[in-house]
Amino acid sequence: MATARVQNYLPEQYRVTEQFDINHNYLPQQFSDHDEILAKIREVVIRGDFTLGSEVDKLEQEYAELCGAAHAIGVGSGTDALFLSLKALDIDKGDEVITTPFTFYATIGAIVTSGAKPVFADAGIDYNIDPDQIESRITSRTKAIMPVHWSGKPCDLDRIQSIADKHGIAVVADACHAIKATYKDRKIGGLGTLACYSFHPLKNLNVWGDGGIVTTNSAAHADRLRLLRNHGLVGRDECRMFAYNSRLDTVQAVVARHLLGKIDHITRSRVANAEYFDKHLGAISGITVPYREPHIYQVYHLYMVLCERRDELQHYLIANGVDAKVHYPTPMHLQPAAAFLGHKRGDFPVAERIAASALSLPVHEFITRAQQDRVIRLIRGFYG
Amino acid sequence: MASPIKVPFVDLARQFRALEPELTEAFQEVGRSGMYIMGERLVSFERAVAVYLGVKHAIGVSDGSNALFLSMKALGIGPGDEVITAPNSFLASAWTIVAVGARPVFVDVAEDMNLDPMRLEAAITPRTRAVMPVHITGRPANMAPINEIADRHGLFVIEDAAQAIGARYHGKRVGGLGTAAGFSLHPLKNLGVYGDGGLITTDDSELASKLGKLRNHGLINRDECESWGYNSRLDPMQAVFAEIKLAHLDGWNARCRAIAATYRAGLDNVVTVPRDQQYEECVYHNFIIRTDRRDELMKHLLNLGVDTRIHYPIPIHLQKAAHNLGYREGSFPRTENDARRMISLPIYPELTDAEIDHVVQSVRSFFC
Repeated sequence: MATARVQNYLPEQYRVTEQFDINHNYLPQQFSDHDEILAKIREVVIRGDFTLGSEVDKLEQEYAELCGAAHAIGVGSGTDALFLSLKALDIDKGDEVITTPFTFYATIGAIVTSGAKPVFADAGIDYNIDPDQIESRITSRTKAIMPVHWSGKPCDLDRIQSIADKHGIAVVADACHAIKATYKDRKIGGLGTLACYSFHPLKNLNVWGDGGIVTTNSAAHADRLRLLRNHGLVGRDECRMFAYNSRLDTVQAVVARHLLGKIDHITRSRVANAEYFDKHLGAISGITVPYREPHIYQVYHLYMVLCERRDELQHYLIANGVDAKVHYPTPMHLQPAAAFLGHKRGDFPVAERIAASALSLPVHEFITRAQQDRVIRLIRGFYG
Repeated sequence: MASPIKVPFVDLARQFRALEPELTEAFQEVGRSGMYIMGERLVSFERAVAVYLGVKHAIGVSDGSNALFLSMKALGIGPGDEVITAPNSFLASAWTIVAVGARPVFVDVAEDMNLDPMRLEAAITPRTRAVMPVHITGRPANMAPINEIADRHGLFVIEDAAQAIGARYHGKRVGGLGTAAGFSLHPLKNLGVYGDGGLITTDDSELASKLGKLRNHGLINRDECESWGYNSRLDPMQAVFAEIKLAHLDGWNARCRAIAATYRAGLDNVVTVPRDQQYEECVYHNFIIRTDRRDELMKHLLNLGVDTRIHYPIPIHLQKAAHNLGYREGSFPRTENDARRMISLPIYPELTDAEIDHVVQSVRSFFC
């Protein structure tokens, strides 16, 4: 019974239902333009170039440049990007990594499975880790800070970097939401020690399965990641270190490269849609629109507002054909899996408040102005 | 003089061309669904392959290595534990043991190139938690004595079935012969997809439930995480390809066995050829011949257009990565001797009779 439940569990965010005419999932629309991609995948298949093939190499070069880093290393998923990055820094049992409790499971999963202990610092009003909360949590065991650029808004990287430098620890950014985001006009892929991205199907730049990539300016870290993702192999027959298998599929690199050609349009659409929502939703009492800072270019992987009577509003929107989602209702320190850390409700009040009132509205490039207007009208009507 | 026939070691395009319309349609169907992670297409393949293998549960994962890794994690194998395996496998068998924090303990192979059950018991210590026999080249390890010894010592048995999908041992398919089994769906495997892919099988429902969560962030639903886990999922895009190919697998395996029979008949008196015991059905992921004049023969074959490989020239215990495990040259004489003498000949269902004949004649011409 339990097994049947697990095996039938469909990740909810993928449901494209007839019920919604404003969906989060735009993949069927994206796929409608697949001829060119299919032709290129066919070439890969005919060549038999499946494992770390030439399309992966090309994507890595293009991606590094796009994100302002010297190196990019394609891996199996955003989760593995985080996990392998921690492993590249030799993080293991007995170590601690500081991060935010307001994130996706994978951030914490990567820390715990690396062997280290996640240490939480509360979030701030911008949904990101609050730099003021970090330093007091640093101990002799702290090896890294893992800021999460939630929803596509870079954290305060200068402050985080100066704390890290002072204590001689690494900054491994969870940039899974934040492709093309900038911080003080700097691309974020080259900031910190390593930055980790996801190509998960609903990310701003996606593939059609699991995929991820790590960017860094350090040649040594890049070399180590290339060993770590591919059995520690140098050539076909020499194993320099026992490592992992976590490779970006070549056929998925084809998809990523194709969409890379559209990433400017995708990003601009999301930013414009977010601005439009800001302008109209910002005037509604009951809604707090996302925090903005002039020196930060955020890319709205999620457009997340804080709202009063959140659950009611979500149900109302869903009943009216809008796929409104909560990312995510329970912060990490209150998950059953975090019981061993001994946290309780109230430990991270800002994260808890965000989780209790956050609602995500679709802003992807296929959303039309008319659809946005409908969402705005519905929300305005809800709060009357 | 250039040979008129070239026999590539692998040529995946041949299989693809034969199945292209069906594969393309499936690809488009998944594409239009918008469901690119888990979902019903993955479940459909998992059910079909479980039925095929005669097991209760099949769990699609990202690759064969992670199939073994997650199996050990789910069984609670970790630091301080030992897992016994063969040193002549692909590296993944050993690294997955290291990756869970345990220590790989090697046991030399027997004449069939699989873990020698006669040497197994001597390697068991109070720290041993599991045995991981490898069905190398698609030949089932001798599971009856291995299971008997494992049972007596209360050890888990994890089959490394990466190369052996469809193989049978005493009539039963591999994958259902131990506590759990890991399969690879890597493009070069007998059942291969178009990227990385893998599969875990088990009859233990509790273990299957644990694995279902462990591969997907430890989630029990979208919003609740029961235990921190990994992201190691088989892409549905690949699962539909695997399900299409599954319908052809028995036919392909039969063809590989027929090619193996031809190779065996033609080469028996010039090199050491692999042969099946009456209780087993090897699926010949590789066909490995052994000869003292290996390097010369490989060169000779290449000159005649026959592409060959060595699986694998450096045994795991002699890899740089294994230097701290305390083994040295001479630790496993049979494995080391095989590594100096073996050649893998091309073997895949799409080889033509002319190509097969050319391989046989080319090997024979070296000796005769």
